[in-house]
Amino acid sequence: MNDDAIDTSNSDDSTDFGFSRVDRAAKAGLVREVFDSVASRYDLMNDLMSGGIHRLWKRFTIELSAARAGQTILDIAGGTGDLAAKFSRLVGPDGRVILADINAAMLEVGRDRLIDKGATGNIDVVQADAQWLPFEDGTIDCITIAFGLRNVTDKAMALRSMLRVLRPGGRLLVLEFSKPTSPLLAKIYDQYSFQVLPAMGKWITQDADSYRYLAESIRQHPDQETLLGLMEEAGFANVSYHNMTGGIVAVHRGFKA
Amino acid sequence: MTRHDPALLSAALSGAERAINQAILLAPTSHSALEALDGTLIGVEITSLELTLYLALAPGPEVRLLSHCEEKTATFVRGSLEDFAALMASEDPAATLINSGIELQGSSVSLIRLQQVISQMDIDWEAPLVERLGDVTGHQLAKALRSLFRWGEGARKSLKRQLSEYLLEEGRLTPPKLELEHFFDGVQSLSMRVEKVQVKVEKLLAKAAARRAR
Repeated sequence: MNDDAIDTSNSDDSTDFGFSRVDRAAKAGLVREVFDSVASRYDLMNDLMSGGIHRLWKRFTIELSAARAGQTILDIAGGTGDLAAKFSRLVGPDGRVILADINAAMLEVGRDRLIDKGATGNIDVVQADAQWLPFEDGTIDCITIAFGLRNVTDKAMALRSMLRVLRPGGRLLVLEFSKPTSPLLAKIYDQYSFQVLPAMGKWITQDADSYRYLAESIRQHPDQETLLGLMEEAGFANVSYHNMTGGIVAVHRGFKA
Repeated sequence: MTRHDPALLSAALSGAERAINQAILLAPTSHSALEALDGTLIGVEITSLELTLYLALAPGPEVRLLSHCEEKTATFVRGSLEDFAALMASEDPAATLINSGIELQGSSVSLIRLQQVISQMDIDWEAPLVERLGDVTGHQLAKALRSLFRWGEGARKSLKRQLSEYLLEEGRLTPPKLELEHFFDGVQSLSMRVEKVQVKVEKLLAKAAARRAR
């Protein structure tokens, strides 16, 4: 992992957007364009790209959340709402799930899906930026962010914002692409990401560029140990991670002391 | 937590969970018994697979299989895959639990109750077949499958009986159950008498030593 790529401070006016450097203020807009383009077929593409394995990664993340009836769960970058729908059942009618995403198009798709699944009674849909979460301090029991942190402009700022809204003892779960532990798997994964993935994106959403960005943003994202360090620096305690599918994906967990 | 890749484990548990819940859907007569177990959480450690999983019963009724659970389990069992297979197939789960290599922590009540519900589960295979293949074909196929299962069950029982008869009567390789129980009673009685004699001998030796000392 290239340390230059881990842009979490405010010392520079530029930030990464895939392999490119762009103006810090422009990144959110560029990311929004990517997700506007893929929103309607996001779940289908995820299934095709991961062979459905993303559901298993999310299943384990839900287990690590230890969500219980009556809790308040915030799912940041929750997009099409698949995690929110599952949390909705676990927290029950006395609990609350907040589905948050910076992208209105993704939220619209998510809200429609949740209505179709009948999961609406305890779910609020909020358009929010992870860096400036519009919630009161210490009000959330558990935060999840699945495949969203790498698109955030200032990751450290977002992590601090998440820590602020968590209750003491509350936990953050970051599910994100990471670094394969085997060099052979890393090579195969590279070929897949930069050759197969954009071709699939072009075929299904007629948008190879957006999926090329996704592959590039995965490479620019901090590896397991670096993200663990970032979470500790932000103030999270007892931070640990689990590698999944040979480290292609990792789920990090940290607690608010 | 186990050493297995969480994604692989999730795949296995997700498949098993789906199959179990589908079977529950097709066995409506077991629903009230399962609902009575709502909220039950059982931890299972399969030593031969280095695997720990949790079985939770939720309203519906629905079974959830988890690889990670932070709630306190009322029942936790540890044993090999063979031990658990024997327990699931057992006609007397309490005796199997005591006599097998399964270690139990906490209450055995919910585990035994669950085993009984599973063993008595009457799955209606006809409903999904009729739904997919139509009334006539579905019913005929279900009838054929029922005959096949009945034949299989009959064959299993017959084989078990014949094997038992051969081992007892023809081969004289194992003693009859009553004879074995009588033998064990005798061994236990002898063991108790030996213990009594040992205590008496120790007392006599102590007395003799005391006399010598005077």
